[in-house]
Amino acid sequence: MFKKFISLEWKQFFRSSSFAKNIFIKIFMAIGILTLFMYAISIGIGLYFGVKEIFPDKDPFILVNKYILFYFVAELLMRYSIQKMPVLQIKPLLILPINKKTVVKYGLAKSLLTVFNFIPLFILLPFSIILMLKGYSASQIIPWFIDLYAISISLHFLTFLINKSDTFFYTTLIILLSFIGLEYFHIFKISAFAGSVFLALSKNPIFALIPIVLAFIAYRSAYLFQLKHLNLDQINSQNKEVKTADLSWLNRFGKVAPFLKNDIKLIWRNKRAKQTIIASLVFLFYALYFLNMSKHMKGDGMIAFAMVFVTGGFAMTFGQLVPSWDSEYYTLLMSQNIKYKTYLESKWYLMSAAVIVSFLLATPYIYFGWKIYALLVAGALFNLGINSHLVLLGGLFNRQPIKLNEKAKAFGNTQGFNMTNFLIAFPKILLPILLFAIPNAIWGFKAGILTLAGVSVIGILLKNYFLNKLEKLYIKNKYKTIASFKEGA
Amino acid sequence: MIQAENLSKKYGNQQVLNIANLQIKKGQSLGLVGNNGAGKTTFFNLILDLIKPTTGSVKINNIQVNTSEDWKPLTAAFIDESFLIGYLTPEEYFYFIGELRGQNKSDIDAFLTQFKDIFNDEILNKKKYLRDLSKGNQKKVGIIGALIGNPEVIILDEPFANLDPTTQIRLKKMLKKLVKDKDKTVLISSHDLLHVTEVSDRIVVLEKGKIVKDLQTSPETLKELEQHFTTG
Repeated sequence: MFKKFISLEWKQFFRSSSFAKNIFIKIFMAIGILTLFMYAISIGIGLYFGVKEIFPDKDPFILVNKYILFYFVAELLMRYSIQKMPVLQIKPLLILPINKKTVVKYGLAKSLLTVFNFIPLFILLPFSIILMLKGYSASQIIPWFIDLYAISISLHFLTFLINKSDTFFYTTLIILLSFIGLEYFHIFKISAFAGSVFLALSKNPIFALIPIVLAFIAYRSAYLFQLKHLNLDQINSQNKEVKTADLSWLNRFGKVAPFLKNDIKLIWRNKRAKQTIIASLVFLFYALYFLNMSKHMKGDGMIAFAMVFVTGGFAMTFGQLVPSWDSEYYTLLMSQNIKYKTYLESKWYLMSAAVIVSFLLATPYIYFGWKIYALLVAGALFNLGINSHLVLLGGLFNRQPIKLNEKAKAFGNTQGFNMTNFLIAFPKILLPILLFAIPNAIWGFKAGILTLAGVSVIGILLKNYFLNKLEKLYIKNKYKTIASFKEGA
Repeated sequence: MIQAENLSKKYGNQQVLNIANLQIKKGQSLGLVGNNGAGKTTFFNLILDLIKPTTGSVKINNIQVNTSEDWKPLTAAFIDESFLIGYLTPEEYFYFIGELRGQNKSDIDAFLTQFKDIFNDEILNKKKYLRDLSKGNQKKVGIIGALIGNPEVIILDEPFANLDPTTQIRLKKMLKKLVKDKDKTVLISSHDLLHVTEVSDRIVVLEKGKIVKDLQTSPETLKELEQHFTTG
């Protein structure tokens, strides 16, 4: 039976109408995944030597044990937000004489083939081998390796049990953050405790069995859960009551208000769109990475670039998929009593609001000094004046329809990803660097800031001009967009 | 009200629509019939400027649809489910359309009361998203949505398909009332010859993209159409 399923999926893959069109993207993604694996392997190889280099007096094995708990919690969060139960086309299978158990078992077996199961493997395996080469006893390392991998697999199956619970996600997130907080401020060394637990696993053969048993229990529960939920009632979420919120306070925005209200509902009620909010929250912290990493690079173009990202997360993640968000009902919008410009303007307002909110949330960056804060301000202006328009220009070439109610899969799904998006991203990245870094190098920091901010303010002032131009271009592309949205639906 | 001149649409070498001249007067209700692939939906899509004509043009109220957007306030349509916004509740959808057509919430609430028997207690206050409604109920929402804001031109593609018999009869009654006042121009396509002859005062038969019959509805029209499709 498994053989038949595999042949079905083979056909689904090669006969899909978008196959030929997407082959380039698929190759591109395959290269991406391979690169990721290479990274994982090099982390696995480098881990031992890296730790030795930075902390010459510490034992790498013990240190890794101490902090691996953080890795696992982070892994769970990652798996939760990106990993998806592979969907078999179950509707036609349900009425055929196929054992339900077979369908579920196949689904779970197939689910194991996710990138998330290979990355820990590719990190752990080289690390364990190097540990053994460095004189750790195989009788300790091999059970340790199996245990850690078993934990990772348990997390894999656990994700299916919690797949629908947002509460779980946020609770885990809070736990992770509080672990980090407790650790960072030396209140409670969770790492010391976790370290001894993981060490114990490797020392006592009876303890060593625990993760394996856990993995089996997780598999069994996932299996029973899926079996119980394998009917059409569960596929359709028809019985859920919908909560509506009063958004009439947005009416003050006049003509664009109906669209703003719609877009907020769009983001709130669709999994795919909700992810952009999470992404923009992540972008808020983006600059921390650069600020910590390169103390000697401060004032450099890279920091300017990073500060633009801090406030531009939403504009980029949401904005680059305008008008694809509305692909499911694009014909309605095109035949309704709407001026194209109003539609574009509403998207502009939405992105601007997000920039301002991110800017306010990013106020703590002031801690890094006024220069960084000045860059934050200039970056926000850049997002308002230049980036928002560039993003809408990019949307012009974006004719990939989006199925709203599906989460974006990490690597399998190419919805809303295309080459033009990729190319249009370059000016977004290069412009702030050029506008800031060149005057900064010649005339100093103030000149850099003033150029970046000044050009951006001009962009804001020219908003109407740009939107008029964009409207013309969008109308020119209207038929093509409608046709490709329809084809993909 | 609607003029199509020298209108044609080709996909590759295949001609899917070719209308030399079609004039639809204000207040007229026109039924469009034809077998699958006759070009009915293509014609509607051209009127709504959703596809580009290969030759010719469509004018609504003397406004050429592919050069100006000013016909949009006059026109409303329901072609298929891509005219619905899946993540809204029916009420929110009606309010949204209402806002685009200058109607406030209470206008819409008042407007909706007259369709109580069509909705049959399955649409309003159900706290469900449109995407979770059945196909038939989605269709009802789309059709009623197209009537919001007193549009002068109403275009409905196969309004009777997918509806239960009771609703078909109620919808027919409602459409009859709508066309009786002669202030709206209504275009309906249908495979149901009986319904479409009852609702429309003019019937146009399309075949492979061409107009083969253009009849004023009379008691004999249904027979003539049945004859045409039996031998055709």
